[in-house]
Amino acid sequence: MLALILLSVLLSLRSNRLMALVKLMAFQGVVVSAVPLFLETEHGLTFNLFVFFILLVLVKGVFIPGLMYIAVKKVVASREIEPIIGYHASLFAGLIMIVFSVYVTNNLHLAMLPAGHKLLLVTAITTMGAGLVLLMARRKAITQVIGYLMMENGIYLIGTALAKEVHTQYVVEFAVLLDLIVAVLVMGIVLNDINHTFDDVDTALMGQLKD
Amino acid sequence: MLQFVFLIPLIAGIAVFFLPAKKGRLILVATAIIHATFTGLEWFKITGPLQTKYFANTPEGMLVLAILSFLFLFISLYTVAYMNEVEMSKEPIFNGCMLLFLAAMSMVAIADHIIMLWVAVEATTLMSAPLIFVHRSKEALEATWKYVLICSVGIALALLGCFFVIFSMTMSDVHVPISFSALATVASQLNPIWLKAGFIFVVIGYGTKMGLAPMHTWLPDAHSEAPSPASALLSGALLNCAFLGVYRCHQLMYAAGLGDYSSNVLIAFGLASMLVSAVFILNQNDYKRMLAYSSIENMGIIAFGTGIGGLALFGAMLHMIHHSLVKSSLFLSAGNILLGYGTKIINKTGGMLRLFPKTGATFFAGFAGISGFPPFGLFISELLIILGAIKAGRYVAISIFIFSLILIFAGASRLVMQMIFAERDKDEILVPEKWVRALPPIILLLTSLALVIWLPDTIYQTIQNAISSIGGTVNG
Repeated sequence: MLALILLSVLLSLRSNRLMALVKLMAFQGVVVSAVPLFLETEHGLTFNLFVFFILLVLVKGVFIPGLMYIAVKKVVASREIEPIIGYHASLFAGLIMIVFSVYVTNNLHLAMLPAGHKLLLVTAITTMGAGLVLLMARRKAITQVIGYLMMENGIYLIGTALAKEVHTQYVVEFAVLLDLIVAVLVMGIVLNDINHTFDDVDTALMGQLKD
Repeated sequence: MLQFVFLIPLIAGIAVFFLPAKKGRLILVATAIIHATFTGLEWFKITGPLQTKYFANTPEGMLVLAILSFLFLFISLYTVAYMNEVEMSKEPIFNGCMLLFLAAMSMVAIADHIIMLWVAVEATTLMSAPLIFVHRSKEALEATWKYVLICSVGIALALLGCFFVIFSMTMSDVHVPISFSALATVASQLNPIWLKAGFIFVVIGYGTKMGLAPMHTWLPDAHSEAPSPASALLSGALLNCAFLGVYRCHQLMYAAGLGDYSSNVLIAFGLASMLVSAVFILNQNDYKRMLAYSSIENMGIIAFGTGIGGLALFGAMLHMIHHSLVKSSLFLSAGNILLGYGTKIINKTGGMLRLFPKTGATFFAGFAGISGFPPFGLFISELLIILGAIKAGRYVAISIFIFSLILIFAGASRLVMQMIFAERDKDEILVPEKWVRALPPIILLLTSLALVIWLPDTIYQTIQNAISSIGGTVNG
């Protein structure tokens, strides 16, 4: 399960096509949503948990990637990602990140966490870090959104590993999810306008505002 | 009933999207009045919250809510007059987003649940983004993109901080609802290491939103590119909401006995913001950017005052009130100036006192206010912060504080003098000033003045309740 998430993280650092990246995001979304189902909960698999799982999959695995898919389709100019930091370097950064996360997790003295949670924390920190790399090392605005989403996935996983209380409060959970949807919608609208105005979504074109 | 302060603007905002522009303006003002009424009811605790799980009526929250409601009332009146002068193709979207923005900010002010507060702060980013790029120019798009991305990433880090705070509870096996009021009662039992880590992430996250250096890079762009009513709201109300998030966590830290640690973090960020804005304000050539940097400076002052505590904390709260009033007034005046000259470049303006006597006078008075001249309130609040810091024995910090204030005053006064008194060859102006647009900024300034002369007892009491939990006093 967690290996699948790590695989999607590494593949996304390596991928050079926007379409492939969007498909990876959909895959990662589904796997991340499923993680709480496989953790040992006190009450077992409750009905609420299952309903929320379906909702998460619909949002993270279908709705958000769907929006990104439409956005990529609209940007006809070029589908290459144009990295600032090369693919191999990014991949290497991803591997280093895994080692680093293991180190951090081992040094936190979290003896009280169940065994599975520790591995989850490693995955979560790696996902978050890789999201930040994507955010900073790619020039296309769409890749930045995907980097943001990946970071959000990582933070969600950290929340799953550490703050169990939050995940039983469905109102709060739902509000966070709603924020994510609106964030992607707003980013999508701005992206569309950027594409209209600049004829591209390359952030290097934007640089008029500075001091 | 407490929840009405964000439910009503939410419903009104959605309705405005589907109504013609003229009706939208009417709803904007009507909602502002209803919002002010409900805020008044809450202020005097005439009605309580319907369900206390996620929301609560706290003194610091009420302070932020009252400022927000008061500002929004006058900004909505200004917006109606402003809309008569400018061509805006998507006016319903602008008005609707103004209301949704009001709803999100009200939700921040009353949120008690840690994650609910986060949700509300993130919502303010998303609801205000459309306000910035209504003009759809290249600059506005760039500003919006920076704003949405930097703030979303920053606030995502705040969520991480919230998880750490919640984990500090699990770590020490305490089980209470995850709200600030419940956590404060068990604060001393929380795991201090995770609480510290959480606080750092929360300050970085909400500090990004508040414009604390070095996470401030989005602020001058967003505040200068947004239409003036939106800038006034961003600067006068939104920054306070972000500060409220930091303040709530600072209260928690103080209750947990880690007050020294969080105070030092706040002082460092505050001084950094002041120095950065002092450096960048010196060579500005855009008056809205100048005002934006001044907002960064003032947020730095508030963070600094909060960090020092005691008397300075009282000063910081006063500073928050007066900064909101004076800065919104300045941004509304800047809107009038922009309409008149059609440019934001300082060198192309000039002779304001002759061409726009009302706006020129308001802008000048507002500038005197923001630089901390008596009789405006920022004079008193800055004096209290300086006195508080000297009493606390923070001599190095206070020297940097005063040095930055002088630098900022020197830089900004040169620019403002040029705008107001410089000679100008041609006398043609695009849109002449009108009383409807000149009056809201004047009223905001006069309110600041009135609060200096007579601070109503209820406001005084609320400030005291807000600061007493972290050892702030009026008597030093």
